[in-house]
Amino acid sequence: MQTINPLIRNIKRHWMLYLMILPGIIFYIIFKYIPLAGSVIAFQNYQILKGIMNSPWVWFDNFKYIFMYQDFYNVLRNTAIIATYKLIFQFPAPIILALLFNEVRLMFAKRTLQSLFYLPHFLSWVIVGGIVFEVLSSQGVVNTIRSWMGFEPILYMQQERYFRGIVILSGIWKEIGWGTIVYLAAIAGINPSLYEAAVMDGANRWKQTLYITLPGIFPTILVLFLLNIGNFLELGFEQIYNLLTPMTYSVGDIIETYVYRAGILQGQFSVTTAIGIFQSVIGFVLLWIFNRLANKTGEGLW
Amino acid sequence: MRISASEKWFQTFNYIILTLAASTMIFPFLHLLAVSFSSPVAADSKEVFLWPVGFTLGTWEHILQNSGLWQSFGVTIYVTVVGTFFSMILSVLTAYPLSRQEFLIRKQVMLFIVITMIFNAPLIPFFLTVRELGMMNSLWSLIIPGAISTYNMIIIRTFFQGLPKELDDSAKIDGCNEFRVLFQIYLPLSKPVLATIGLFYAVGYWNIFQRAVLFLRNQELWPLQMKLRAYLTSPEELAQVNLFLGDYDFNTTTLKAATIIFATVPILLVYPYLQKYFVKGSMLGSLKE
Amino acid sequence: MLKRNLKAVTLMLLALVLLIAGCGNSSNNGSQQQNNQSTNTGSSTNGGDKQEDYVTIRVFKSHMGVGTIPDRDNPHVQYVAQETGVIYDLVTVPPGSEASEFINLMLASDDVPDILRPIGGVEQTLIQQGGAVALDDLLPQYAPHVWESIPQEAWDVVRSASDDGKIYYIPKVYLIPERAALLRKDWLEAVNMDLPTTTEEYKEMLRAFRDQDPNGNGKADELPTTGREAGKWMDHLFAMFGVAMWEGVPEWDIYEGEIQYAGITKNMRAAIEFIRELYEEKLLDNETFLNKGDVWTAKINNNLVGSWYHLPANLRDRYTAMLQTAPDAYVIGMPLPKAEGFEGYITQKSMGEPEWIIPKSSEDKAPYALKLLDFFYNPEYFEFGRFGIEGMHHEVVDGKKVPLPPEDNRPLALGMRNLTTQEDMDLRIEQTFPEEMQQMVKDIFEVSTADARRIAGDGLPSTVYTGFPDIQSHKMFQEYLTKIVIGEWPIEKFDEFVERWYASGGAEVTKRVQEWYAKMTNK
Repeated sequence: MQTINPLIRNIKRHWMLYLMILPGIIFYIIFKYIPLAGSVIAFQNYQILKGIMNSPWVWFDNFKYIFMYQDFYNVLRNTAIIATYKLIFQFPAPIILALLFNEVRLMFAKRTLQSLFYLPHFLSWVIVGGIVFEVLSSQGVVNTIRSWMGFEPILYMQQERYFRGIVILSGIWKEIGWGTIVYLAAIAGINPSLYEAAVMDGANRWKQTLYITLPGIFPTILVLFLLNIGNFLELGFEQIYNLLTPMTYSVGDIIETYVYRAGILQGQFSVTTAIGIFQSVIGFVLLWIFNRLANKTGEGLW
Repeated sequence: MRISASEKWFQTFNYIILTLAASTMIFPFLHLLAVSFSSPVAADSKEVFLWPVGFTLGTWEHILQNSGLWQSFGVTIYVTVVGTFFSMILSVLTAYPLSRQEFLIRKQVMLFIVITMIFNAPLIPFFLTVRELGMMNSLWSLIIPGAISTYNMIIIRTFFQGLPKELDDSAKIDGCNEFRVLFQIYLPLSKPVLATIGLFYAVGYWNIFQRAVLFLRNQELWPLQMKLRAYLTSPEELAQVNLFLGDYDFNTTTLKAATIIFATVPILLVYPYLQKYFVKGSMLGSLKE
Repeated sequence: MLKRNLKAVTLMLLALVLLIAGCGNSSNNGSQQQNNQSTNTGSSTNGGDKQEDYVTIRVFKSHMGVGTIPDRDNPHVQYVAQETGVIYDLVTVPPGSEASEFINLMLASDDVPDILRPIGGVEQTLIQQGGAVALDDLLPQYAPHVWESIPQEAWDVVRSASDDGKIYYIPKVYLIPERAALLRKDWLEAVNMDLPTTTEEYKEMLRAFRDQDPNGNGKADELPTTGREAGKWMDHLFAMFGVAMWEGVPEWDIYEGEIQYAGITKNMRAAIEFIRELYEEKLLDNETFLNKGDVWTAKINNNLVGSWYHLPANLRDRYTAMLQTAPDAYVIGMPLPKAEGFEGYITQKSMGEPEWIIPKSSEDKAPYALKLLDFFYNPEYFEFGRFGIEGMHHEVVDGKKVPLPPEDNRPLALGMRNLTTQEDMDLRIEQTFPEEMQQMVKDIFEVSTADARRIAGDGLPSTVYTGFPDIQSHKMFQEYLTKIVIGEWPIEKFDEFVERWYASGGAEVTKRVQEWYAKMTNK
């Protein structure tokens, strides 16, 4: 009973907080946890017409099937590598851009530029994929410039060595603008008197950025990092699917594209759910680790 | 304040880079706009770059005269407004207690919520749950099952956490209860984050597609994106019928371009409107020194 | 202070109330919308005479394009009802979304239609889980036109798709070759050559296309032949070597006496070697594997391509585009040039693909569903099936019926017949092509029909691939094909491909296919 008492006291004293959060909790239970229970189909041989209740149980067979898939390690490796690249390059990009925006003095220019930068976010990857193919084609911009310099055209989309780079660059192009919005909001929340004090101490813009802006948005950066890492192995199907060709399968085939072949083509719901669980477990482990680290330097998610 | 030479260089450099990059971002839209005003043959032959070829208003006439499209436009606006409102209330009410030290089970609830962000339910159980709650064929199926985005909610929470502790103290001196602190003190100071998250939710609702496909059988309830996807289906996927037999001044390519513009432009106009909330110093004067 | 408190509490209550109202409202709507499996009799106020006796059949058909779903008062529905006693209730997937996901959800939630057109292998799911109705006895009785107009061969293929040899679905029948090797006659004349009869002559012709500027614009921009991403739509190059190909993926046919995967045969090896040579000499568009659909179409439309492979029935818009800048353009069917040591043919898949299936849960309504189906297969109603209601689906121009283009607010019309014969195709050409083009298209069909051959694997059930999604998706084949052709790998890698294919499930799948084929040919 010892552990319950403080809780009851807390509820009595701060009942308003508990009341406020109640609708949210209900929401999560109904729309997240109850459907989540359906994940059990990963341990079954789910038959659509029989439903969850009547489908036979196969326990870990689906997982065994996944790990024995001959290309599994290839696919997993590709996913992990691309995910790491995204973390190293695509994650910091909006931060840097937000800082650059911060340096733009003219209000009008700043607002216009921001509004333009987030346009690609609204285009689907079907369209952006088409754009990438065209820009990199033999008649496209890149090869035209190269021909001016006397080089032979390169068919980039056919070459394995360029694929991951193209994925990262196109991802940055598409999402960098949208990604700055949160950081700009965070920058707006920094106390201006801190800047005033720094200026009086003779600090230039660079020092101000380093010692005021960055630390000021650090909690935001940390939170976004943690939110991202929980979905580490989930790269999203659309981008890769629209950029992939058979010539780049070996470096570009990821978990999601495999799931598409197994799921859509074969209706293997149990297997695809099992894969999803695998991705989530890895993501959660990573999140756990980084959350503990975060708690040491700032505040983690929990 | 004197600006050093190196700072001047940097400023110029910054402007140039940003402008160059920004212009690449707008090219695809200019291209689509041009295609939507071009003749079908030119569009199919990829002659169009940034300016219409064979200028015609036919595509836009066809689209704008389509009453079904306006209906779905209205549906989307309704869903976006109601949904954003609903989501913001729910998210703020959830984020606030999680940002308060006084809330004892703060960390446990966070873990409870974060788990749902990482472990996703498969489609069929989710579908069945929503169906059992009787939301089939209702616009609520678009709003309620997705009312709280954990990502968005956590950003609000983080922002709340970042508000200075002195605010709490002065509130306590004034004898405020939690509701008052939230509504009278926290929210007015949170304009940047509320604008941001409001925008995120609005865009999310505006673009809603997958849930609409699953739950809305009644075509009158279809949001904009669903109507537009119809035009984006390539002719080869449809039964082998030549779609346009007369001499129309539009075809699937031009319609595709026009519908993308039609669906995207309205929501693009929201951000500039919100930019005024991203002003520094929104916290000035909040503290009684 | 109390006021503030009230405001906050009110807001919260508002949120809760909205939540409950949302659920409450929609459950009312929900029960109204829910169509039960039991026989629903029509109660329309439109004053028909036998309205109460009509049976409603829910029909699921995907890929219907834009348009509204017709309700029971729709004239099209009403006409069908008068003639058959069946009111059809069309259920379709919103265009642009994933159809197989949709139908799977319907099945999972017990929201099963009365008759459906299967996608993504769902027919096998139904058959194997005992969810399909056996139609052997019902068909001759309730759908005689269907039963008789579909050739017995096709029914045999359908029987072979199930373990107990019963007929569980109505197949799609396409009796003429859908696809053809197309060639620009004006280009041939511009380079002063005759139709190639061997693969060597074909290469010569391509070289002439490449070097002699047949499109006459002074630029060496010709792409003698081209295809699409992942090797799609270059089937003609494979066809010359007798490789069974369908839109870029190998099929199953008889090689060396047994039914085999065309991808691992000697024919395939020779074909790939040939294609590789074409690529090297730039006779094959070097970006062929990067061409997305619209890019490929544009190249053809812009008079850059001399030889390609596609559906002649879809030629209209492309030809119109070509004429814009090349008024002398003319397209002919190219008889397949002969490759030394091989017998070439154009792959034809004509029967066996499932078109309609009736779920077991609607077994008692099956006779009515079949009656509805039979309506569309009855020659008496062909014209109606093709054109629909005047003013709604077609208009009359100069005494001829012209279909109206699909539009958002135009109601869709159900069509259930998927059987194409020579006459059907001729009719379709006459209706959809302008006069000047009709002969051109008919000639193309003549040429392709002469070269076409129905493959042994026509009608192969998708269950042979179960457990081997990568074999089914032909992923390995595409990888090896593309890399060898572009020159990254030598042709010898093909042998490695054969080994790996067998080892990763190909052997098992081949066994299953051979068992199926034995079953089928022993009938």
